[in-house]
Amino acid sequence: MRSFRVDGLPDEVLRQAASQAGLALRVDELRRIAQTLGRDPSMVEVHAFDAQWSEHCSYKSSRHHLRKLPTDGPTVMQGPAEDAGILHLGEWNGERYGVVIAHESHNHPSQVVPFEGAATGVGGIVRDVLCMGAEVIGIADPLRFGRIDDPQSHQRYVAQGAVDGIAAYGNAIGVPNIAGDVYFDERFDDNCLVNVVALGLIKESGIIHSAAPPNSAGWDIVLVGKATDTSGFGGAAFSSVTLDEEDADANKGAVQVPDPFLKNVIMRASYRVFEHLRERNITAGFKDLGAGGIMGCSAEICSSGGFGAIIDLDDVNTAMKNMPPEVIAIGETQERLCWVLPGDVTADVLQIYNEEFSLPQIARHACATVIGAVQQQKQYVLRHGDEIVMDVPIDFLTGTIRDELPVRAMSERKVTGAHRRYIDGEPSIWALLPQVLAHRDVCSREPLYVRYDGVVRGTTVLPRGSADAGVIAPLHGSPLGVALSVAGNPRYGKVDPPLAAEYAVLESVRKVVAVGARPLGLTDCLNFGNPQNVDHYSELVHSIDGLAIAAKELGTPYVSGNVSLYNESKSGNAIPASPIVACVGGLNDVSTVVGAAFHRPGSTLYFIGTPHNAMGGAVAAELLGQTGGPLAPIDYEAVRRQIAFVLDAAQRGTLLSAHAIGNGGLLAAVAKMAFLSGNCIGASLTTPFGISAGAFEFYYGECTGWVVESAAELTLPDAVRIGMTTGPDYEGGVGIEIDGETLDVDELYEAWRTPLVEVYP
Amino acid sequence: MASPKVAVLVFPGTNSEVETWRICRDVGLDSDVVHWSRAQTLPDYDAYVLPGGFAYEDRIRAGAVPAHDPMMDYVIEAAQGGKLVLGICNGAQIVLEAGLVPGTGPVRKPTAAFTKNGPVPHFVCKHVYLKLAVDPGRCAITAALERDAVIPAWAAHGEGRLAATTDHLQEIVDGGHLAFVYAHADGTVDERATPNASALFCAGLTNKAGNVLAIMPHPERDAWNFNHPRRREGTDILAPSGGVKLFSAFAKALKS
Repeated sequence: MRSFRVDGLPDEVLRQAASQAGLALRVDELRRIAQTLGRDPSMVEVHAFDAQWSEHCSYKSSRHHLRKLPTDGPTVMQGPAEDAGILHLGEWNGERYGVVIAHESHNHPSQVVPFEGAATGVGGIVRDVLCMGAEVIGIADPLRFGRIDDPQSHQRYVAQGAVDGIAAYGNAIGVPNIAGDVYFDERFDDNCLVNVVALGLIKESGIIHSAAPPNSAGWDIVLVGKATDTSGFGGAAFSSVTLDEEDADANKGAVQVPDPFLKNVIMRASYRVFEHLRERNITAGFKDLGAGGIMGCSAEICSSGGFGAIIDLDDVNTAMKNMPPEVIAIGETQERLCWVLPGDVTADVLQIYNEEFSLPQIARHACATVIGAVQQQKQYVLRHGDEIVMDVPIDFLTGTIRDELPVRAMSERKVTGAHRRYIDGEPSIWALLPQVLAHRDVCSREPLYVRYDGVVRGTTVLPRGSADAGVIAPLHGSPLGVALSVAGNPRYGKVDPPLAAEYAVLESVRKVVAVGARPLGLTDCLNFGNPQNVDHYSELVHSIDGLAIAAKELGTPYVSGNVSLYNESKSGNAIPASPIVACVGGLNDVSTVVGAAFHRPGSTLYFIGTPHNAMGGAVAAELLGQTGGPLAPIDYEAVRRQIAFVLDAAQRGTLLSAHAIGNGGLLAAVAKMAFLSGNCIGASLTTPFGISAGAFEFYYGECTGWVVESAAELTLPDAVRIGMTTGPDYEGGVGIEIDGETLDVDELYEAWRTPLVEVYP
Repeated sequence: MASPKVAVLVFPGTNSEVETWRICRDVGLDSDVVHWSRAQTLPDYDAYVLPGGFAYEDRIRAGAVPAHDPMMDYVIEAAQGGKLVLGICNGAQIVLEAGLVPGTGPVRKPTAAFTKNGPVPHFVCKHVYLKLAVDPGRCAITAALERDAVIPAWAAHGEGRLAATTDHLQEIVDGGHLAFVYAHADGTVDERATPNASALFCAGLTNKAGNVLAIMPHPERDAWNFNHPRRREGTDILAPSGGVKLFSAFAKALKS
C-alpha cells in the first residue's frame, strides 16, 4: 500500500509534501495520525483524514461553541445528531407526525460554477431529509449575491446561474420551493451564499436513523445511486479553504455534477423501500453520501452504531476503470445513499432499485449494490484489489476533534437612550417610499421565484410571495399545516454580528407567526469568513451566542444546522457575518392561516411591536447616506407577549392579513399588502401619538413587529391603531395616504415590481 | 358494468403522479399509479392519465423521448381504439409528441409543438384559468362541463407555448382542436392571461375523435380551496376547489 511519509520529515518538508498532495491537513494533524496508527498513513488514509478532519465534516473550530445552542424542547422528536432534525407537527388518525428539516450551504461551488453548485446544493439537502425515511415536501433557498449591476460581471453570472440551478433541480424532482430570500451586497462579490433548506414529512413510527442498528454486525452495507466518478474529489477540503481566483479552474474539479433526473427516480424508489421495510417491520440504517464520499458515510453510519466496517472498493460501481482507490473512497459523486440492511432483506431492496425502478437504465452504471459489511471490531477497513488500503480505528477517524482558536472579547455595546435620534434632519416620509420599495433588498422577488415550481405535489396553501412564510398542507385530508420561513440580514451583520444573529431568529419566528403558525423550531447555517482570522472567528463565536440567546428567549430549539467558514477570497474580501436561520411553524388547522394581502376596505390596521429610534442597517438610512446608528435592542418579554397575541388573534379568525415588518420598514410592509391585493385595496394611515420613536423611524425602522389588518378591535399595550384599509376613490385610484398626503399604489407598484426584471427577465 | 379503471402513468422523471392519482381517486375513479417497469399491465385499464414532470429529463424536447417509450405503444393503441387519454403538462407534451393531438398527422409525427415559453424562455409558475374553447360535447372528457367553463389551475412549465406553421395552426382552429385557452377569472381571453405567449392562447388540445385531451396547466394543483390563491372568506378550506371540475367531468365521461 502506497504510504504518505510523515516519520522523520522536518515540519517544513512535511507541510510542502501535504500541500503538493492537495491536503489541507496541518503538520500537527499529520503527526497525530502517524502516531496513533504507529506507522506512516497510506495515501487513502491521509485523504480520508483530510476529508473527515476538514472543517466541513468535523466542525473542529465551531462544534464546542455550537453546544451553547438550545436543542431540546417539547417539540423536538430528533435533535441535531443526525443528517436532519425532526419537529413534532401533530397527530392525525392516531399517528404522530413530524416535520424533518435540514439546512446546508453550497457556497464555494456556487461561486465557481453557479448552476451546478446550486443544483447540487438542493440535491444534497434533499438526500439529508430523505434518508430519515421521510417524504420530501418542500425546499427553501436563502441566497446572498454580490453586485449585479454590470451585465458582464461574474457576480451577475453567479446570481443568474445559481437561481437557474435551483430551479432546474427542484422542479425536476417535484418538490415545491416554498420559501427563500435574496440580498445583494458588494461583500458577496467574491463569495456568494447559496443556502438550501429541505422539509420532509414522517410518521414517528417510520423514522430511519443514520446509524447501523443494534446487533447489526455482519449486515450488508449497500450503496445506491450514481456510479462513482472522479467529480467532487476533494470537495470537503475545498469547502474549507479560501477561494482564489487563479485556482478557479482547478477548483471546478472539486464541484460535483448534479443529476436531478436520476434523483427523481431514486427518491421514488426509496419511498417504495421505506414501505417495504415498514411492512416487514425491519429496522435499517440509511444515510446520505455527502462530504467524504463512501468513506465518510459508511464510517459515520457504522461508528454511530458502535461498530466498524469493512468495504471492498472493487465492488463499487464506478463510471470508469482503474480509478485510484482514494478517489473511489472519498470522491463526492452526487446522487448516492448508503443502506445498512440485514442480509435477508438486501435482495428485495436491490430488486426495488435495480428492477422495479431500473436504475441501471436510468443512468449509466447507476445501481444499488452491496459494497461491504458492518463488523463488530471497531476498525474501518478498505480493500482494493489484493490490498488493504486503509485500516484505522473507526472512532479515531470519525471522533470529535477540536481546534482552540483565539477569540476577541466583544466590544462594549453602547447603551442607547430611548429618546436619542440617529437620523439627521427631518427627511420626507412620502418622498422616500418609492426609493425604499425599489431598493435591491426590498423590491419584488417574483422575477426570481416565478422560475421555481411552488405548487407541485398539490399541497401549497401560501406560495412564495403571498406571505412572510410558505405554508403547505402536506398530509392529504388532514387540516395540519406546515409553515417555513428564512431570515438573516447581512446589512445588520455589518453593524453588530451578535445582535444580527438574534434578529435572524426573531425575524424568522415573526414571519411564521405572521401566517398564524406556532413556531416549532429552528435550523441555522452559519456563513462566516476564515476562522484563522481572529476578527472573523470572533464574529462567529459571538453570533452563536446571539443565536442561543434569541432561541432560548423565544423557546425555539435548533434541530439541525450547518457551518460554512472560509467565505473569503485571497484578496481578503470576506462576507459580512451571515447567520441564516430557518423557522418551521405548525398549524393545527390550515383554515386559520393568515395571508399578507389586504382583505377588504374599511378594516382596521394595527401595528403590533416595539418601535425604536435606532436605524442601524435600515434601508432608509442607507438611502439617505446615513449609518442610522446601532441596531435596536430586543425586548424579549414584549416580543413573547406580542407573539402570543398575534397567534391568539389568528386562531380566533380576527386577523384578515398580517405582515412582519422587515426590509424597508412599516410603510414597505403596508405597500406590499396593498400590492398583494392586486392593487385593489389601499390604506389610510395616521401617525399615532405617544409611540417610543420619531415618525420617520416609526415608518422606516426595521424588524419592529407586524402590521395586521383586523376584523375586530384589538386592545393591548403593543397593538397601536395606525389606520384603515381603503377601496378605490371616485376615479378608481387606490392610494396609500399618510397623514393626509396620498401616494398612488399603481406607481409605487411599478417602482417595486421592476428592479430585478433586468437580471431575471 | 365493473367500475372503470384508470392508469396514472409514471415515466422515469414524472413528478406529479401522486396528486394526480389522488384526485382521480377522490372523484370516484378506481385508479392505479403504473410505473414504466409494469407497462405490460396497461391494456387492463379503461383510461390513461399522463401526469406532469420531466419524463426522460426533457431530452431533445419535452415529451419527445417518452413519446417513444414502450408505455406509449399501449396508450397510442388504446387512444386509436377510442379509450380516454388525458395528458397534463408534461403528459400533454408527451401526448402531443406521440401525435395524438391535434392528431392531424401520423402517429409520432407531431404537427405542432409545446415549445419553450415566450417571450423569455424560462420556467414559469403562475396561477391561471383554463377556458373551454369548444362545444363541451366536442371532447368526451369535457362533455359534462358547462359551455365556456372557466377552470382554475396552476401553470408550471418551461415549454408550454403552442407553436406550429400557419397552415397547421389553421388546421387546429378549423378542426375544432383548440379545446382550452388561457383566460382571466371572468373568462376574458388575452395575452396577459397567457403565461407563455402560446399561439391562439392555447392551453389545451383535443384530437378529432375527442377522446384525447392535452392540457398544459395543472387543475389538480387547484383541487382544494386551500390551493386557490383568491379563496373567499368563509369557504371550507379543505373542500374541493374549481380544478376538480375537470376531473369530475372525466369521471362522468368514463362512467357514462
